[in-house]
Amino acid sequence: MGVFIVIPAYNEGEVLRSTVQSLLHHGYSIVIVDDGSARPANQWIRGIPVHSLRHPVNLGQGAALQTGTTYALSKGADIVVHFDADGQHPAEQIPVLIQPILDGECDVVLGSRFLQARDRRLVPLRKRLLLRLGILVSGLLTRVWLTDAHNGFRALSREAARRVHFEENGFSHATELLEHLREQRLRYREVPSTIRYTEYSLRKGQSIFNSVNIVLDLLLRKLIK
Amino acid sequence: MTFIQIILIALVVAIGLLYFFSLRSRLISRMTALALIATGVLFVLHPDLTNQIAHFLGVGRGTDLLFYLFSLAVSYGFLLLYIRIRALDRKVTDLARTIALELAKEPADNA
Repeated sequence: MGVFIVIPAYNEGEVLRSTVQSLLHHGYSIVIVDDGSARPANQWIRGIPVHSLRHPVNLGQGAALQTGTTYALSKGADIVVHFDADGQHPAEQIPVLIQPILDGECDVVLGSRFLQARDRRLVPLRKRLLLRLGILVSGLLTRVWLTDAHNGFRALSREAARRVHFEENGFSHATELLEHLREQRLRYREVPSTIRYTEYSLRKGQSIFNSVNIVLDLLLRKLIK
Repeated sequence: MTFIQIILIALVVAIGLLYFFSLRSRLISRMTALALIATGVLFVLHPDLTNQIAHFLGVGRGTDLLFYLFSLAVSYGFLLLYIRIRALDRKVTDLARTIALELAKEPADNA
């Protein structure tokens, strides 16, 4: 089974290297998509056997994930995993994430911080409230109700990855994915995922203002196709 | 004819003609442009006309009526621009993606 881990990277630092190294010995194919970083992300992955792509200009996280996914499919990926560059997803949880696809029970598996009390407690309070709001808005917009919103940790079967095409280039792709889940009638499931919040990942994460932007993006999307 | 009327008519005709000739072959757009020039010139020559139309429509003054129409036109213009920008965004994305896929490095190139 060809499992491809797609990692979008935009102006990441040293942490990209350690994130990639934590994945290496699991035997996955790794695809780094440098989303037009000011200083090419290549410098951090020198000597590491990964597939590396680079957008000539910055397009956004959704676009980078789409490029990586398209590439992985062209390399014959059976499963595509989306993974954050900042080291907040533990590599050990990938087997749990892809198991339902391997068993043929699901097309898409999404990580959730809110299925287990110990994962939930790791989420900072402010972030937790924001995510609750995100779940509500995403649910209302897409009629797909999940326990977590905008969790970047997810796995798609080859068939699902082929049918889902992100048009939202920015962070709104996570909610757009829910739309695809419903429209394409994909079978999905959530599995517990732990997010390791570090000062770095919190700094790189999305701000409150961005959440408002996401809502506006999606509303516009509904009005203007 | 007052001085301001000459200036306004000259500007309306100049801008209108520029617009008219820059619209490639869209007949509807060209007819609209011509109609707008004609209406503009007419209103400049007979300002009272706008008042009469405004009263007919239940608006206080002709100036107010023009202001409402102006606001609508600007909003419409922004909407069109927004749609164009979105389409352009998509093209840039496709372009950047094609380049990224074309120049992708395999693990063997990197090790």
